[in-house]
Amino acid sequence: MENIKLKIARVEKGLSQQDLADLVSATRQTIGLIEKGKYNPSLNLCIRIAKTLDRTLNELFWYETKE
Amino acid sequence: MRQKNKKTFLIMDERNKQIAYKVIAIMYFLTFFAIVGILLYRQFILGQEIDEFEDIAIILTINSLFLIAALLYFGAIPIRRLKVKSILLIYFVWVVAGSLFTYAKYNIFQGLGLSFKQLFDKLIIIVTITGLIMGFWILLSILGKKRIDKELE
Repeated sequence: MENIKLKIARVEKGLSQQDLADLVSATRQTIGLIEKGKYNPSLNLCIRIAKTLDRTLNELFWYETKE
Repeated sequence: MRQKNKKTFLIMDERNKQIAYKVIAIMYFLTFFAIVGILLYRQFILGQEIDEFEDIAIILTINSLFLIAALLYFGAIPIRRLKVKSILLIYFVWVVAGSLFTYAKYNIFQGLGLSFKQLFDKLIIIVTITGLIMGFWILLSILGKKRIDKELE
């Protein structure tokens, strides 16, 4: 499932995928795959991304599931 | 505010490492099974003596022994509780498999027609070596469990 929240937060912060990747010590491809929902990052990477974008983990990675 | 980390030539993040580990593990097992295949071919099809490929066999044996030992020690194979019954069952299966392999090797493939006494002598070696190997693995799994318990303290 595509992670729109992360993409929006990144764009609002004025960062490209490469910028965010550099800031969290990851590669651009990894950030791209996380945004596309094709890679599940570790909790450590999630925390680094959340801190860099000044968001909480919930704001970036939590999705309510419909029962 | 844009601040960039110093770029290095080779950046490996967690995803790259995961892929690398997966590829390395697959390649390792392919190589391992290829060598096992070569050893079996040389032993049973070409009928070569063990002396001719002893070095490769020793490396392969030590490699697989330590692979399982490392998996047990670092907790890749989770063992909640070592049950004597399970250990004895695994030991028994190993001994039976080893005995059948020995019988097949000497009396079927090489056609030496070993007597019961000669086979029994070889069985003692199998029982002893299997016991030592299993003891080594049990020791490593106990040490690994202790290491993890210590980290949790």
